[in-house]
Amino acid sequence: MAHIEEHKETHTVQKEKQNYVMLDLGKTPKFGMPAFIQVVKRSLSLELLKGLGVTFREMINALFKGKMHTTKYPFEKLPISPRYRAIHEMLRLLESGHYRCIGCGLCEKICISNCIAMETRYDENQRKEVSQYTINFGRCIFCGYCAEVCPELAIVHGGRYENASEQRAGFSLFEDMLTPIDKLKEQKEFAGFGSISPNADENIKKTPLAY
Amino acid sequence: MSAQREEKKLVTITIDGKECKGKYGDTILKIARANGIYIPTMCYLSKVEPIASCRMCVVEVEGVEGMILSCQEKAVDGSVVRTTSKDLYLQRQNIMKLYNVNHPLECGVCDKSGECELQNKTLEFGISQQNFTAREVHKKVENWGFVSYDPALCIMCEKCVRVSNEITGNEALQISVGGYRSTIVNVKNSTCPSLGESAAVCPVGALVSSDFKYSSNAWELKRIPASCAHCSSACSLNYEVKNDKIYRVTNDFEFSSLCGAGRFGFDFENRNAVKDPEIFKEAISAFKRANTISFSAIITNEEALILQKLKEKYKYKLVCDEAYGYQQFLKAYGSITGETLYSGNLNSIKESSAVIVFGSRINDDNPMVKYHITMASKRNRARVAYLHPMEDSNISNIVTQFIKYEVGSEEGVAALLANTFLSSREISPELKSFLDNLDIGNISAESSVGEEELMALLKSIDKKEKLTFVVGSDLYNHPRAKEIAKLLGAIDKYSDFSFVIVPPATNALGVSLICSLDEKAEGYTVGYNSKGDFELSSLGDGDMDMPALNQQEGTLTNIDKRVVPTNAALSYNGYVLNDIANELGLKAEYTIDYTTHLPEKAGFKPENFDNLPSYFDNSGIEHRGYLLTSKSVKAAEDFDDIEELPTFDGAIVYNCNENINMNIFTNVTKAFKSDETYLKGSPQFAGIVKLNDGDEITFSANGTKYKRVFKIDESMKGTIALNPIFDMGLNASLNNSYRFSRLNREQ
Repeated sequence: MAHIEEHKETHTVQKEKQNYVMLDLGKTPKFGMPAFIQVVKRSLSLELLKGLGVTFREMINALFKGKMHTTKYPFEKLPISPRYRAIHEMLRLLESGHYRCIGCGLCEKICISNCIAMETRYDENQRKEVSQYTINFGRCIFCGYCAEVCPELAIVHGGRYENASEQRAGFSLFEDMLTPIDKLKEQKEFAGFGSISPNADENIKKTPLAY
Repeated sequence: MSAQREEKKLVTITIDGKECKGKYGDTILKIARANGIYIPTMCYLSKVEPIASCRMCVVEVEGVEGMILSCQEKAVDGSVVRTTSKDLYLQRQNIMKLYNVNHPLECGVCDKSGECELQNKTLEFGISQQNFTAREVHKKVENWGFVSYDPALCIMCEKCVRVSNEITGNEALQISVGGYRSTIVNVKNSTCPSLGESAAVCPVGALVSSDFKYSSNAWELKRIPASCAHCSSACSLNYEVKNDKIYRVTNDFEFSSLCGAGRFGFDFENRNAVKDPEIFKEAISAFKRANTISFSAIITNEEALILQKLKEKYKYKLVCDEAYGYQQFLKAYGSITGETLYSGNLNSIKESSAVIVFGSRINDDNPMVKYHITMASKRNRARVAYLHPMEDSNISNIVTQFIKYEVGSEEGVAALLANTFLSSREISPELKSFLDNLDIGNISAESSVGEEELMALLKSIDKKEKLTFVVGSDLYNHPRAKEIAKLLGAIDKYSDFSFVIVPPATNALGVSLICSLDEKAEGYTVGYNSKGDFELSSLGDGDMDMPALNQQEGTLTNIDKRVVPTNAALSYNGYVLNDIANELGLKAEYTIDYTTHLPEKAGFKPENFDNLPSYFDNSGIEHRGYLLTSKSVKAAEDFDDIEELPTFDGAIVYNCNENINMNIFTNVTKAFKSDETYLKGSPQFAGIVKLNDGDEITFSANGTKYKRVFKIDESMKGTIALNPIFDMGLNASLNNSYRFSRLNREQ
């Protein structure tokens, strides 16, 4: 009961804070003749042209002043939030270039759609080596548990969201997800969970409602 | 007498307010566990004597100052025990902290993670900080063949050392004491598969299977409880499976053991079997044509029953070379004792204070029997007399008296033993007149068993309480097997020995009880894992595929006279024997429908397969399947006079599968598959046959041709060489003949 009462309280607080005012919009005509008169009035006061003017202004802005409101996907892409969860990436150690995965199997265990399969073996250097690693992207729900549980920050979600293809197997092998060795320098560290996008400030808009 | 009465006495103690009953002499921990009360331990292992190195099991006993180790303190009647208190908790917490000093933080890759005692107890006692330190030293990972040892992970609980000394008898592992630098050392540099038994009990990831290492996490594997298919002990084990592949074998190591074959020889499945209706039709027509079904004893009871029912319907000759001799032997034995079954089991070997082994190279024939003899030797200081034509250096540490007899003279030896043990007892007039007629001096000379040796034997078992007589497979196919069986039956009947007649193959006991076997094959033969005109093979090399024992469910009858269930660990897509039987007019949906129909006359019970339990309870009592009941048969004593003992001169070969490679199935596993098969002999043997180490030799023994590479084994003596037969596949005539034979060399 306690929590319901609490809820009621906040409700009344909100009521007190918000002062809604009803605008005077006049009356909506109800019969044929007054409605016809309203149409004629609005047409003759050039409201249509005003609207077209806005469109024309925006076109000029977009075409000549570089204030385009759309992006030319797929030639152009919007920056994606680091917390976005798309196709996984397997990261490498920056110093040695060796992959980070130690084959502990926690991602395989935690996966709730059971789509990670891995095999490990004892390698020549007496270490545990991942010999097979696949994610079935037909089943993956991109929940992010695998990345969250990984003790080595080896598996993370990348920004590759375009995964329409004839076969998803094409990007589900370990090697496909692994940072290419020549692009090691471009490998970005995972910012962590709950991280915000770099342009987060710009994206913040003031909302009219006082929540 | 008073000691005996005391032994039976019950004690009642109160643990945490609960009244618990136990036997006199039981430890507090044992009573607590049997009553479902938890006391944490790190080093305690139920199947060996208390180690008392971890001190986690401390409890408080009212009226006693300080803490008491519950694992080794015997319960006193009426005492009041507390297993938890603040002091005890702090004490245990500190112990766990000490165990965690410098323990590598590699749980992520460690094999034991998920089933690690250290992990569990560290979490249980909430170790969130470490107050102790020690300077870390470099410790190298060592590879000991089937297992590998990482000293950095070792917590020095000593379990592995105890198992290697007390149970497997390998005595390879020892502790090198040095405080923080202590390690386990492999003093014999042993690479023996029985080290797997030590690895199984390791509470951490220090001693692990080399083959399994890093190949899968414990929690990914599905456990299939089953029975081992390799020898007649049919030990309980779990096949651990992932993606239709067996990754490893585990067992309830607190109470049971496994030999190397059971632990590492698990991948003998028939992999690529498919259902081919054409071949099935061929099989049916072969069965319709056949006069004889020849089969191996490595099958389930249900399959044996199917074959028996087919025999009744189609009047087949049923030939099982491995079990026939055994069946006849048991029958002759029973004709004296009046029982269908022998009296002892593995447990009675373990508890005995004197063991006689006769007619078996027991270390190689049945490792589980050897383990139990080792336990008797180590715990009860049992006298172990080993009667065999060859000395076995592998068991010299437990054998107290080796009696060598001449090859072929087993009947004489049995008569001498009967005379030694029974002449002063009250016996039937028939037996008395038989013993009186013996020409002891002559037999003694022929068999080269001296009277003073027998007197020493008699003296050594004098006043011992529990005696066990282990009989092995040298005798079952002996030309005079019946007479030997009768003499041994007489020893069973008139003396205090309990007998274990070791079945020569996995289900030889079951087959001999279920099937009425014929001696010789006749006409067109269908072979099931055996040579024939149409061959059904679980190895995948016959005319039609059959499932191996890890691919089918059913029951096996083991050395303990126990009918134990086994389950299918791997999928199998081919036809099974039941499909053929259904086509031939029998009716059962599944093979296990026959479990209820196993012959009650032979001692089986009408139990449903799905109701058969398979577990050990907290107090270590085995609940697996059910025990056979021994039926009484008519006893009639008539003893044949001893035939003149045969003489085997010159070079002799002995059919014996050494080093855990026990049968044709172990020989297809990754762990034991051998490319070259050696004939192993002593330098003396090499001298007689004029062979050098590494020479190839072709010879025939008992009508079978062998091609072997000769190898000199310096530890062997005499003129008998060991000839393994695990590579002979479905070749029949091997198991129905006496195991020793003269070497006929072919050029």
